[in-house]
Amino acid sequence: MSLFKNLYAYRELLKTNIQKEIRGKYKGSFLGVLWSFLNPLLMVLVYAIVFPYILRNTEDNYLIFLIVAIIPWNFFTTVITQGTNCVWINGGIIKKVYFPREILPISVVSAGLVNFFISFIIVILFILFSGIGFSIHILWVPFIAIIQSILSLGLLFILSAIDVYVRDVEYLINFFVMLLFYATPILYNANMFPLKIRWVLYLNPMAHLIDAYRNVLYYKTTPSFGSLIYIVVLSIFLFVFGLLVFRKLEKGFAEEV
Amino acid sequence: MKSNDSLYAIEVINVTKSFKIYYDKAHTLKEYLVFWKTNKNELYTALKNISLKIKKGETVGLIGVNGSGKSTLLKLMTKIIYPNSGKIITRGKLTSLLELGAGFHQDFTGRENIYFNAAIFGLTRSDIDKRIDDIIAFSELGDFIDNPVRTYSSGMYMRLAFSIAINVDADILLIDEILAVGDQHFQDKCFNKLEELKKSNKTIVIVSHDLGQIEKLCDRAIWIYEGHVQMDGSPKNVLPSYLERCR
Repeated sequence: MSLFKNLYAYRELLKTNIQKEIRGKYKGSFLGVLWSFLNPLLMVLVYAIVFPYILRNTEDNYLIFLIVAIIPWNFFTTVITQGTNCVWINGGIIKKVYFPREILPISVVSAGLVNFFISFIIVILFILFSGIGFSIHILWVPFIAIIQSILSLGLLFILSAIDVYVRDVEYLINFFVMLLFYATPILYNANMFPLKIRWVLYLNPMAHLIDAYRNVLYYKTTPSFGSLIYIVVLSIFLFVFGLLVFRKLEKGFAEEV
Repeated sequence: MKSNDSLYAIEVINVTKSFKIYYDKAHTLKEYLVFWKTNKNELYTALKNISLKIKKGETVGLIGVNGSGKSTLLKLMTKIIYPNSGKIITRGKLTSLLELGAGFHQDFTGRENIYFNAAIFGLTRSDIDKRIDDIIAFSELGDFIDNPVRTYSSGMYMRLAFSIAINVDADILLIDEILAVGDQHFQDKCFNKLEELKKSNKTIVIVSHDLGQIEKLCDRAIWIYEGHVQMDGSPKNVLPSYLERCR
């Protein structure tokens, strides 16, 4: 509870920090914020061209199948890979002033969420022009995105705090995110795997999240109820556990950075 | 009991703080593994079981030679670092000026930095809007306020930082050896402002080597020596003994 009280007291700092994250990211690049559209778009193009040849393609509209998964995945990876060093790079200020340190990872995730909603325009445009059309289930998207944010934040609490002490986390995480990309049913459909081993795939919360996005956008149904419960419980658990780890480690931040 | 407790703005209870001094600090996995056994460190105890209570509205000067633990004590009070044992309780909104312009963004203008810096001190936008004219006036930066701070001289930098910190309306103000910066005119102005804050019943803790300033401003002086309180009392009593020892 003290987290929310603290965040409220420091809401102005949180706000300016989020703005800085959003604006600062593409600072100095010629196309600016346009990159938050272009990046995932180019990624989708590459996969859409290459993968139908490699994989047995059973989807009617592989491009849309891909795009509704890659944009949310992009949100996850940007937050995790760019946020892992968020405490470390702010070392200068951590040594000199007190403020609730949780603000740093929270800003990264909030900025990521805003960016996700901006790049979601691409998803909408693609669905519109592909003729797949929308259903009322699209209203689930903000809810799923918020669960994803809580999950990412829990992870980021742990990663950014440990990164201060062991700098390898930053590099290791890049590898794990890449590994997870192929372990999550983004490029393929999970039914490709026999039922016997499919459950392993679904230990990964991102698999459930991606499926949820795909259900509401591509298949136009409600997300699976069991999946939702699993990710909500897991996300809240990770968030609380992450916060505890962060609280424990933050006491040494000023001496370690 | 409770009303008695809240008499104090800052309570430091049996605090010990030590730092590990590494000869070679391991920061990566490889270094951790390679230096597993050889990662030599020495424990340096900056504060040894120190206890002190500062009443609300008191103006306290911390004195002591370099390395005696004064700055460590201030950092502990701000919650930048945490004690190894013991407890620190502060009551009320706290602002610290440990290093000038901490958190200034070089490419932002002075005005933008006021917003950013005051936000770090926990002010909201409307709070800052109310105070911004006072802050700019106090800093005497004039038109320079809309230039990026990287173009500022160190004096201007310090004036801006001090103006922000002093106008955030905190209950407790911690200041670490910074009054010495700035020209005579601005120093006097800061001094007057501190007197004014003192009269409005703020709690102020100052670390300074300017004993004249401490004598004029503070009602209490605490002499810290090698991590413990050597002497605590009115500046009239403490300062002469401190000077005696220094000679």
